[in-house]
Formats: sequence, C-alpha cells, structure tokens
Amino acid sequence: MKKVFVGMSGGVDSSLTAALLVEQGYEVTGVYMKNWTQDLPGMRCPWADDLADAKRVAVQLGIDFRVFDFENEYRDKVVQYMIDEYKSGHTPNPDIMCNQEVKFKLFLETALEQGADMIATGHYAQTNNGKLLLALDGNKDQTYFLYRVEQSALEKTLFPLGEFTKPQVRTMAKERGLATASKKDSQGICFVGQIGIREFLGQYVQTKPGKIIDLSSKNVVGKHDGAIFYTLGQRHGLNVGGGLPYYVVGKDMEKNEVYVSTNLNTESLWQENITLQSTHWINEEPREGQTYALRIRHRAPLVNCTYSQGMLQLEESQRAITPGQSTVLYDGKICLGGGIVV
Amino acid sequence: MSLKQIYLDHAAATPMDERVLDAMRPYFDTHFYNPSSPYAPAVQVRHEYEEAKALLAGTFGAKGDEIVITAGATESINLALSGVTGHVVSSAIEHHAVLAAVGRHEHTLVAPTEKGIITPEAIAAAITPNTEIVTIQLANNEIGTIQPLRDIATIIETERNRRAEAGESTPLHFHTDASQGFGQIDVHIARLGVDMLTLNSGKMYGPKQVGLLWLKAGVSVLPLILGGGQERGLRNGTENVAGVMGFSKAAQLAEKHTKSEANRLRELRDNLQITLQKTFSDMVVSGHPKKRLPGSLHVAFPGLDGERLVFRLESRGVLVATGSACAANKGTRSHVLKSIGLGNAEADGSLRLTLGKLSTKEIIQEAARIISEEVQAEYKRIGDA
Repeated sequence: MKKVFVGMSGGVDSSLTAALLVEQGYEVTGVYMKNWTQDLPGMRCPWADDLADAKRVAVQLGIDFRVFDFENEYRDKVVQYMIDEYKSGHTPNPDIMCNQEVKFKLFLETALEQGADMIATGHYAQTNNGKLLLALDGNKDQTYFLYRVEQSALEKTLFPLGEFTKPQVRTMAKERGLATASKKDSQGICFVGQIGIREFLGQYVQTKPGKIIDLSSKNVVGKHDGAIFYTLGQRHGLNVGGGLPYYVVGKDMEKNEVYVSTNLNTESLWQENITLQSTHWINEEPREGQTYALRIRHRAPLVNCTYSQGMLQLEESQRAITPGQSTVLYDGKICLGGGIVV
Repeated sequence: MSLKQIYLDHAAATPMDERVLDAMRPYFDTHFYNPSSPYAPAVQVRHEYEEAKALLAGTFGAKGDEIVITAGATESINLALSGVTGHVVSSAIEHHAVLAAVGRHEHTLVAPTEKGIITPEAIAAAITPNTEIVTIQLANNEIGTIQPLRDIATIIETERNRRAEAGESTPLHFHTDASQGFGQIDVHIARLGVDMLTLNSGKMYGPKQVGLLWLKAGVSVLPLILGGGQERGLRNGTENVAGVMGFSKAAQLAEKHTKSEANRLRELRDNLQITLQKTFSDMVVSGHPKKRLPGSLHVAFPGLDGERLVFRLESRGVLVATGSACAANKGTRSHVLKSIGLGNAEADGSLRLTLGKLSTKEIIQEAARIISEEVQAEYKRIGDA
C-alpha cells in the first residue's frame, strides 16, 4: 500500500483530499504545516483553530496526523522574499514562493524522510508523469501558483481534487460528514488576507506618505501612504475623490510617487510583449516560434502568444502586465512553467 | 443529527441555573440603574447590590465590604499581587494567571509531590525574610489535588511570629486562588487560614467575567483599574450589578449543597474511574487518590494522543479536556503534569474529566461506555498501523 502524506490546512479542500485518498486505498498521514502563527494588528491568525480542524478531520478519517513546524523556513524563504519584493516596488506572490520552497520542497523532503512514498495537497490541478495539467474546474484552477514546482516533485505528488469542481468538493465533503464541510474558504494569500497586507508590511517596512500624480496632466491629484502598497493596474484603494476612477499606471520607488491615469487605454497599461526573467520550465523549455497560451495572473483568461528568444509576443495586447508578477505558459492543458515579468 | 451531549468539563465552564438567571434578569432592564445615582430607584439597586455582596461574602465566612468584585479570577489574582515589592512564594502547578502574575516579582515556585501536593515543609523552605506573599491554589485545575492550605497557614503564622520577635517589618500574607472547588469542598476563610482569597463566578455556576478578591482587614493592594472610586477604590468602574446578583445566587446555592454534591460527585467519579480501570489496566490516574476534588478525574492512556481522543469523543457527543484547556490550545505540554513527573507518553495521552451538576448516574455510565469504546478504538488503530 502506497504511503501518502497529505498537507491538511484545516480547510474543506485538503480535508476532502485526505478523505478521497483513504477511499482510494492509500495509507494516508495528515500533516499540518505550521508556517505562520503571528497575529497582525486587527487580524487574528487562525492557525490554532485550523490545526485543530485538520486534526479533527484526520481523527474522523482514522488516519495518522503530524505537525511539521516550518515557521523558520517560511519566514526565511517566503516572508523575507515578500518584503524584499515589495521594497523594490513589486507586488510579489507569496503563494507561488510557498509552493516552490515549502509545500513542494520542504514538505515533500520531510515527508519522504518520514516514510512517505508520495505527497498530496488540495490544489486544483492535475499531474501526469511529472507534468502539470490544468484542473477540470477552470474557475478554480491553481496551476498559476504551481508553475515553479519541479518535475521531480510533481512525479511524487497527487492532486485528487483536479477532476472536481469546487461545488462538487463541498457536496462530497458534506456527504462524508467532514467536520470542515461548511467551513468558509480562507481568502487571499497564504497567511495575510488581501486586507492584511498593509498591516503586514507595516510591521517590516517603514513607509511614508507621497504624491499621487496624474500622468497626463502631471497634476498632483492626491496623497498616498507609501508607494509600496500600490500595484500596476490597481483601481481600488486610491484616496482620490470624484470623477472617473483612476488606475495606477506606474510608480517611482525612489521618489515615492505613484502615477495614475483615468484613461483605461493609456499606453503604459497595455502591452503586447512580455519579457520574463527567473524562468522555470517544469519539463522542458518552450520551443522557438511555437504558439502557446499564457496567463498573467491567477484566473486571468488564457491569451495566445508566440514564444521567441525568451520573449512572449501576445496575439492581443493585455492590460496591467505587472513587473515582478508571474506569467505562466500553457500548451493546451499542460502548464509548461513561466517566469517573472521584467 | 442530534447527539445527546455529555459534558465532562465542569472545570472549564459551568452552566447557569435558572434561579441564577432569574436573579440577574431584572438588573438588565427594570432595575438597570447605576448604583451610584442619587434617586430612589438607584439607591434601591445600591442596597440590593450591597446585600448580594454580603450574602456572597457570607458563603465563605467573610463580610460584604471585605470583598472586591472583579472581572474574574485572573484579575483578582493580579490585584492580589499588585502591592508586592518583595519576594513571592508560589507553586509550580498554579494556573497560568498566577504564574504570569508571580513572574513579575522575585519569586520561588515550590515543586509538588508526585501526587500533586504542595507540602507545608516545602513552603517553609521557600520563604525568605523578604517574602511578602505566599499564593497557593485551593485545588488544582488539571488534576484536582486539594492543597493543605490550613497547614501552610500555620507555617506562615510561624514566620510572622518570627518576624515580629526579630523586629522585622516586612508583611507576609497568604493568598489562595480558590477558583476550583467551591461547591465541592469546604471553602471558609477562617478554616483555611488565608488572608486573601480569589473566587471565579464562571466556575461555580454563575456568570463569566465576574470574580472576587477577598482581603482580610489590614491587607492592602494597589488598584489595577483607576476611576470613580467603586469597590472601595480598589476596582473602579460602574458595578457589574447583574453579574454580582448571579454570582451571589450561584454561591449561595452551591454552598448550601456542598456536602451532598461532594458525596454525589465522588461516587460518580469513583465509579467512572473504576469502570475505566477495569478496561484499561495500564491507565494512569494522576493526583492524590483521596485529597482530590470529588468531581475531578485525570486519566492517562500511555501511548495515545489525548487530543485525538478529545475529537473522537466530541464526535460521540462527549465533551472532555486534555490537561488544562489553555495548555491544550497552545500545543504545549501541561506544566502541571510535568511538575508531578508524569512521563511524556502519559501526559500526551491524558484526559481531564470533570464532573458537576450536569453529571447524572445514567450520563456517567454512558460516558464510561463511550470513553472505553473510543480509547479501545484508538489503541486498535495505532496497534494495526
């Protein structure tokens, strides 16, 4: 019987993942990865409740349960990366880093050391012979977050939810009476919800107020409390009143200035090529001149493009391609990998 | 699916009696007045409040104006230690509230015996000429051991006499955290020989967030919360009238039935213990076999994971604790079990079962059956692996 260690977060997805693997006859061990336990101002970190829920489900399924303490590694590899990226003016994605460094490296290695043959998580994705494939539920597909995972890791990974939709997962969890069947989905990124990012950064980075400048009129149209908090293409959260909505079209970290425009068609927001750095190709590098599809953020529609000399030529220009964020490339259902937008 | 619930965690929280709720209810609406206001209906509330405090204090042999109403035992404990400038003696098995408050001062924590008893000899050895407060719990919240407070009081009296003869002026007072035990054992200030006593309404069938600190005449503390002079200026803020009404009623009901309730709980607890012991010969019972709260049973199933058992039992409607609730939530081993020398395999596989008003003979028999089944199932699971 194959031994599988399942990452159990205390949510419905990973709970059902464990349940399905038990039903499929695997010898399952549930593992809670203790990555982050710190409360932030106005935000209680629910780790202890989540751990209890994960264990409650493990007990319900009659499987072994362990806690892997990755707090130090998580701080070094994910949190520090996030802070550094923000400082340099980027909007990083900690989920991608967490998958690369923690879930599909550290967790995998630790699980294998402790006797596992494979690992499993509740991600919406599919694997086949070391290939990463889109989930059946296009709306939930999480391959965007997984493009930096190694082929060797995928060869030892199961994604049992890849063939189900989220509503199906809820129903199946309820049918099995899992304690987490009706639990609310955790929102936003790994450890800080979207609302928590300011509070999080506030703990680590000194921010100061600066100007918001309309790029077309060059007028100062408002004040911000730190350029670090603004992302290209962002509309919400600008303290600029009245008239048409403003969009962030650029920023200068040195001057601590944020540039905005009311013109959705402003050139700085729309681009036709993407140059990538820090690329990671799961199986092999894309072929020159070949047509693929890409996605510039999680759940963004797939857009056709041509791969040429490390550059991606888009069929149609795209709005708010943001430096520092990941672009992920697909060949049909196969996720090839991707890189960081320059 | 409705499961019949079996509650075996009376040391964590206790349900309020209808009579307690009735005593509180008017003070939320018809008798809502601020007891400090000058007009007649408010003065009436003041009188009723003072009377309730007097009746409350009377349940343990004190006077109404000797007690300070607080928002629970944690606050009472902090208040009791607020005036300390010197050394404090306490024990290693106190509640976290005491350990944290004591930690702010120069202190010595006395180790318990392996049965969980703090001996008067150990206290005597820990007292220094600079010791200002000795604080020892009445009964332990995890293993239920009842401490020999009377004998410890004798030690303290001896030290006081020595200081008087030597012309030393450092005061020495004896505080007890009596949060656990009221209504199960005798709690009377004269018989205990203490100078300060903490009670927690929420653990004795009263409302939560109400507690008291009794101070013997001449014992001084520094208020933690400053304001309008309520509670003799020692605990400022508008009086929690409804809370005190409930606390007072609960204390009176509990005190009246202490003996019969103790006998009833002891029999139920002993039956539960014996039934489990028959099934699990290597089960470890912690605490003193006799000097133990009648409703308290701390058992360990070596090799098992207590938290898994809690979740198994929860799914069968049986609500129990592992060690103490606080310790369990933090994912750390209980300092109490460590102090009495319980091994990790035992500590990790332990359950705290605390009986109380909701425990009937039928319920405890049912609990014994379900606990046996689930413990057996868990042993089988790890045996098969």
